Amino acid sequence: MANDRFDLVNWFARYGTILFLLLLVAGFSWARPDVFPTKLNLLNVLNQASILLIIASGLTVCLVMGLFDLSIAAMATLGGYVVCKLLVDQGDDPHVWLTVAGVLLLSGVVGVLNGALVSYLGVSAFIETLAMGSIITGAILGYSESRTVLGGIPEAFLSLGQEATLGIPNPVIVMGGVALLLWLLLEHTQAGRNLYAIGGNSEAARLSGIAIKRYALVALGISAACAALGGMVAAANLGAGRPQGVGDTYLLNAFAAVFIGASTLRPGQFHILGTLVGVLLIGVISNGLSILGVQTFWQYIVQGVLLIAAMFGAGMVTLRRR
Amino acid sequence: MTADSCEAAAPILEVRGVVKDFPGQRALDDVSLTVRAGDIHALLGENGAGKSTLIKIVTGVYRADGGEILVGGRPVQFTRPHDAQTAGIAVVHQHGNLVPNLSVQENLALGEALPRRLGAFVDWPEVRRRAADLLSRMGLSIPGGALVSSLRPDEAAMVSIAKAIATDARLIILDEPTTALLPREVELLFGHMRRLAGEGHGFLYVSHRLSEIFDVATSATVLRDGRKVWSVGRREDLRREAVVAAIVGREKSLAAEAPVSRMPRSEGPPVLEVRGLSSARVHGASFTLRTGEILGLAGLPGSGAEETLDLLFGRQAPEAGEILVGGRSRRFASPREAVAAGLALVPKDRLAEAALGGFSVRENVSLPSLGRLLTDPLTRFVRRGAERELVSGVVRRLNVRATGIEARMDSLSGGNQQKAVLARWLGTGARVYLLNSPTAAVDVGAKAEIYRLLAQLAEEGAAVLFTSTEVEEFPRLCDRVLVFRSGAIAGELGCPDITEARILGLAVGLADSGRAA
Repeated sequence: MANDRFDLVNWFARYGTILFLLLLVAGFSWARPDVFPTKLNLLNVLNQASILLIIASGLTVCLVMGLFDLSIAAMATLGGYVVCKLLVDQGDDPHVWLTVAGVLLLSGVVGVLNGALVSYLGVSAFIETLAMGSIITGAILGYSESRTVLGGIPEAFLSLGQEATLGIPNPVIVMGGVALLLWLLLEHTQAGRNLYAIGGNSEAARLSGIAIKRYALVALGISAACAALGGMVAAANLGAGRPQGVGDTYLLNAFAAVFIGASTLRPGQFHILGTLVGVLLIGVISNGLSILGVQTFWQYIVQGVLLIAAMFGAGMVTLRRR
Repeated sequence: MTADSCEAAAPILEVRGVVKDFPGQRALDDVSLTVRAGDIHALLGENGAGKSTLIKIVTGVYRADGGEILVGGRPVQFTRPHDAQTAGIAVVHQHGNLVPNLSVQENLALGEALPRRLGAFVDWPEVRRRAADLLSRMGLSIPGGALVSSLRPDEAAMVSIAKAIATDARLIILDEPTTALLPREVELLFGHMRRLAGEGHGFLYVSHRLSEIFDVATSATVLRDGRKVWSVGRREDLRREAVVAAIVGREKSLAAEAPVSRMPRSEGPPVLEVRGLSSARVHGASFTLRTGEILGLAGLPGSGAEETLDLLFGRQAPEAGEILVGGRSRRFASPREAVAAGLALVPKDRLAEAALGGFSVRENVSLPSLGRLLTDPLTRFVRRGAERELVSGVVRRLNVRATGIEARMDSLSGGNQQKAVLARWLGTGARVYLLNSPTAAVDVGAKAEIYRLLAQLAEEGAAVLFTSTEVEEFPRLCDRVLVFRSGAIAGELGCPDITEARILGLAVGLADSGRAA
């Protein structure tokens, strides 16, 4: 008897979110068989989820080593706006991919700066990234004079967010690439293992010979670059470089996705696969509820409840272990 | 109170045939014990024997699945810790139960009904007065307004004990209370325990330091694998050999108590030379560690022995002095550089500094060796097969008992966790082992295994620098002992002279260290 219950709780902690995701897909498909389970709509879900996953994957790397990165909202805005602005400023013959790479590098450098302040000045990452986010937001507002970049964005860049390759939307391809790279990094490289060790017990990691301070630069750098990339895809998708508010929608969702992920498959640990499940869950809920014609405010409420439920599931496992 | 009425009075605590089941295992099986007024009852057993479970049942954290518990002769049913407190049972845990960022007096008042003014406002002068009263009664010269975080570990331990006594508990449960205490504070604590026992309190005392048990206990119960295997009600019957045999079981008892036998070798080439090492707490330490040697650094807490290890490993930067590893002068800016030079450190606090609790044994053990398990220097992928092979090898060699190398670290008992922490360094091929209390809070069986491993490492050509808060360990393990006093090396003891008495004598600074203790 006791053993049966033991396994059930454990099973739910691991697979509960995935089960819930499948149930939701089944439920929405049953409610609107003509709309929800169509190829068009499912690609649409993936397309919308892609930007969130790009940002959330980078955030996962940070949280694995125990750092909160709150600057991702501002970084996403920066990525989207600055690329559009620079491309338009270059006039008729812009170096599209060079510009994209340059902005990614710039955002990575800002992230590394975050890491340096956290590591070498001993500022808490939570506060430091909050402050950096504020600085970036202010800088972009000043640089843009609050004007959105609309016309003249090169097609080559817009294709990043609007076109498809071999039937797969480009954002989904970018998402797959980013998620695969970071999955390999976290699960299969020494650096990934060290990041997990630092998150698990930073003093033990340090005494095992890991340069824990440098890893903060790496993790926050990756997170910033991913956020900027997500912002770029969003801007390409929208066809405009907005100087404010782009990233804000993704900030909470990214954290929600990563934390839902931490209660999936490996309870209590952040990991890319879990983040993917979290992102899909959020994407399916938002898409399904709007298809059903449920008002937007409900989506926030449902998402909040879901996050608490996921945390409760993860907490059950920890509680029972004592 | 006459002896007669004492006999007649109901015991403070009576545990009768208690059973506790956890999923997949029976943690306690028909366990009984009795604590009478005036008893100091030692609860003994290896890690995982069921001591903590029994304490949790007595204090209302767990509920028993069978049997009964009587307090003052009346059966009780605790459903939460508060019930046990109300019934007069207080517990002092190993890691203390104080809030670090509150003052001593606030901690002492915590959980109590605070004295009030006008029914709502805390009467702080009264809180201060009570705290000062209690502290002086305990013989502590700590200001009541001091923050607990500013106290030394031994002071904090005494304050947690004071707090337990302040609740007017009749039964006080002490779970490894002396881990952070200096010898004279242990004596002070024992003095208080004897006095309180004389006043009619009872104690249930858990400790891994057997010598302390024989010093203070008046009765004892030994648990093994969840069963009561031995108990004794009179102090005269508390014999060391019998207790050890009961704890570890007959077959292992000889190995646990006998000194680690091996050829002492102090003539190997020097691997670590230290000259004039100085910092805030170490003053000009100079010594040489040779291949195949186990060198002990003894001393009271804060004497500089532990700090020396930290300086050697690059955890702190020395102010002056020279460190030579394999004849080359080295200055480690971080533990990383020390690890690269072939040093290994087992820190004192396993939970805070060594173990990755939520991770597998495999991930814990391979951590510092990952650099040699990579597919190529560019992608730095970890070769899983090679990793499993390495980990399985050292885990088998150290006899780490777990359900497998994928078992979570925090599912292991303390002794096995410590063996896994040691195993971590075997894979790196470290030549110099710096060990800070490697057997702290480890059961007798695992302790003996760790001793054997260290002797083996030394025989294979590693060098071991060892420090411990348990003085009795040095004679059993070390070829040579350096005794620290107030940051400086006060003396060196060679093979026949390494005795607890001489080490303590040098450590506290008695002129004639011959009969110091």
